[in-house]
Amino acid sequence: MNGTYDVVIIGGGMSGMMAAVALADMGRKVAVVSRGDPVCCLSTGCIDVLAAGNDPLEGIGSLPDNHPYRLVGEDTLKASLEMFRTVMSEERGAYVGDVHANRRILTPLGRHKITCLVPVTMEFADFHSDEYIHVISFNEMKDFYPNYITSRYKNSGCSIFDAGVSTTMSIAERFENRQFLEEFISWLKGLDIPEGRIAIPAVLGMHFAVNVYNEISAELGRKVFEIPTLPPSMPGLRLFDGLKNALLKRGVNLYWGKEIYSVEKSGSQIEAVTLAGAGRSARVQGNAFILATGSFVSGGLHASMDAATETAFDLPVYLPGKRESWFNDDFFAPGHAIEKSGICVDQSFRPVDSRIENLFVCGSILAFSEVMKYGCGHGMAIATGVAAANVCGELA
Amino acid sequence: MIKTDVIIIGGGSTGCGVARDLALRGIPHCLIEKGDFAAGATGACHGLLHSGGRYAVNDPEAAAECLSENMILRKIGTKCVEQTGGLFVRLPGDSKRFRDMFLKSCEETGISTEVLSPSRALELVPSLNSSLEEAIKVPDCSIDPFRLCMLNITSSQKRGGEILTHNKVIDIIREHGRCVGVKVQEESTSEVREIRGKIIINAAGAWGNKIASLAGSGVPMTLSKGSLIVTNHRLTNMVINRLRPSSDGDIIVPNEAVCLAGTTSITVNDPDESEVDPAEVDIIATQAQQMLPDFGTTRLIRTYAGVRPLLKADGGDDRKISRGFRIIDHKNGMLSIMGGKLTTYRLMAEKISDRVMEAFGLKTRCRTAEVPLEGQEELHGYPLSSRLKILENIVCECELVTADDVEKIAREIGTRHIGDIQHRTRLGMGPCQGGFCTYRALGIMQETGKMTPEESMQVLREFLQRRFKGIKPALWGDQLREEQLIESIYLGILGMEQVQ
Repeated sequence: MNGTYDVVIIGGGMSGMMAAVALADMGRKVAVVSRGDPVCCLSTGCIDVLAAGNDPLEGIGSLPDNHPYRLVGEDTLKASLEMFRTVMSEERGAYVGDVHANRRILTPLGRHKITCLVPVTMEFADFHSDEYIHVISFNEMKDFYPNYITSRYKNSGCSIFDAGVSTTMSIAERFENRQFLEEFISWLKGLDIPEGRIAIPAVLGMHFAVNVYNEISAELGRKVFEIPTLPPSMPGLRLFDGLKNALLKRGVNLYWGKEIYSVEKSGSQIEAVTLAGAGRSARVQGNAFILATGSFVSGGLHASMDAATETAFDLPVYLPGKRESWFNDDFFAPGHAIEKSGICVDQSFRPVDSRIENLFVCGSILAFSEVMKYGCGHGMAIATGVAAANVCGELA
Repeated sequence: MIKTDVIIIGGGSTGCGVARDLALRGIPHCLIEKGDFAAGATGACHGLLHSGGRYAVNDPEAAAECLSENMILRKIGTKCVEQTGGLFVRLPGDSKRFRDMFLKSCEETGISTEVLSPSRALELVPSLNSSLEEAIKVPDCSIDPFRLCMLNITSSQKRGGEILTHNKVIDIIREHGRCVGVKVQEESTSEVREIRGKIIINAAGAWGNKIASLAGSGVPMTLSKGSLIVTNHRLTNMVINRLRPSSDGDIIVPNEAVCLAGTTSITVNDPDESEVDPAEVDIIATQAQQMLPDFGTTRLIRTYAGVRPLLKADGGDDRKISRGFRIIDHKNGMLSIMGGKLTTYRLMAEKISDRVMEAFGLKTRCRTAEVPLEGQEELHGYPLSSRLKILENIVCECELVTADDVEKIAREIGTRHIGDIQHRTRLGMGPCQGGFCTYRALGIMQETGKMTPEESMQVLREFLQRRFKGIKPALWGDQLREEQLIESIYLGILGMEQVQ
């Protein structure tokens, strides 16, 4: 299906979707092109802003000058996160948290993940280690082993429910069934857990997770929280689902399962892209384009034996040296050099050295973003997405 | 203290082969291995059961041994040998003269050959470089070295053989100048035990000189590191060799769902040297791509290296050293066996066992060439179709291993080593290389009470580090995508970096 838009966004991940929301709210006609469901589906669903210190915003000041956060002012960062929260609460997926306060949420290994905004189902996941926690697991659930948590918390207990299925998604599916939920709640009540908080792996349904969560909390009269699990992660899927609905509500056109086959340029302008993929090919015309295809993991960048390319427009890619220097020897050392790879942009998010004026770049494809090292994944994606949309929306 | 007749040091193919040979001749024995079976060169080779073609021109004696052993192993080991056949491929620019020498040498050695036109070769292996000049078909096979070791051990255990894995020889006990036993130390408990025997067989491969030196002797050998790469697809159903003198990256072997390509040959001093250099990967991948162009776009899921214990040569190219083997009698109650290759492991075991019989003044002859390997019917998860029948509680989706399989092995062998589970079930051997399933397998193991949650976390940490070491030299393309995902799971979701 051909179309003409004010802005065409390539990439349906966090950054691209938030840019689309921002542009649609400015009254722009927007299309989003995506090869498939984004990697945020595989994430914990939490919004990491910057995993350093107590106040993530304070830490941004000490990031290197070339970090993409440096292109976004504090006001825009705050406004973009607020926009995200508003959108998600409209989509039955409310988030809680304070942009000035990191929180430490419990992981399936009994360790902590530092993050900032969390789905309401994880509101109580940051707790004092003296407090009693009761971990709920599911019989034969293959991605959750409660001993990892209970062995590290002296003041803890564990009970196992038989859901009759063993994968995260199939258990979550069962939670959308009224009878199953009631059985679970009555089993949980029967445990007579004496005190403290109740931790459950993140399987409390898909579309109605907040309702399921609220009902369990109310019936038990306890602080309940979800623990995000390995992919496929329900909170990640809920996040994607919420944003996708927000786009559809705003009349954003989605070209899903499509990728760029050819690009039409005129002088310093991109005029249109032709998309290939399942079904018929489509020519999509735009006044401006946003590139938000992500890093290697999302397919926005592709590395060969000794070089890297940008897969949509073949933009020049910054690459930190030869392959021997891409990785540390230690898997666990923070930040392999390869994470610095990406597209270098100017103050207005335009790629440098490309001579294209109506293309803007945002999200983890930006050079020097190093999202694993700094723990800034979704936060940086949201902030640069909205910031790039602001610049581009004025022109388109 | 354990008392036995023969102490075998080393659980590679040779050591396991000796255990089986002695078992079939009724000789009490005890095998000691510092890690798991096939942990050295045996498990780090490309699993090619040579037809002898590779050595026909330069080393006809080794070639003839390979050929006859190939014929024996395909008969006795139907469940660990895949009769793939092999091709020697001549590409534009490859010497015609070498081709003629090759055919002549194969004929002299008795290796059957068939010269195939390009179109006929492409019918057999459609993924071949279509500009090939010709291909020569030989009876190469693919062999699973780990299964091979396990099956040899089965014969030994059935007859009362004592098998100690994860036990390291720390000393050789000598009395009146003769070796009378060994002291071994268990890996996880550090418990030291004494084992007494009449003869010690040093089958420690690349570590052979270290063992011999414990008895005040030495074995002259050259250590040669060979690196390999693994693809996530089976790009060919036949073994592919380059028709030219032995060189880096000239062999590709299909193995279950993947392909292995190698190798390199670099002289090293330390048998524990197993680092793969990115430059080696580039050479192998580039060479393999010349034979199978798909190599250029296929995901490489792993690299690994093994150290070959070659017979000592006086300098020069390691590749020119004979791949034959030698038995050294140290005249102190210890025999060392060195050199050789996986294909000839049975023959090596036969020859050294003959020496044991001679020393004992016994005449029972070797039966390992006639008796099929025992335990093949019960081989875990073999063939793949048996795994496909049970699709419940799969913990390793790549290789279809169930939670029950993991639990059973964990209870059976009381293992504390994730590697033992992987070798016995193929867990973690597929495209994700244990990225998802190791976490699960360890979760199950700590639930069985075989290790504490904290211990299993340590094992997971070590596993991830080792996995990364193996993946890092070939990390680009789709494999880099996968790696970023795995990193985000363990560091971003689980908080694994906090495990010290």
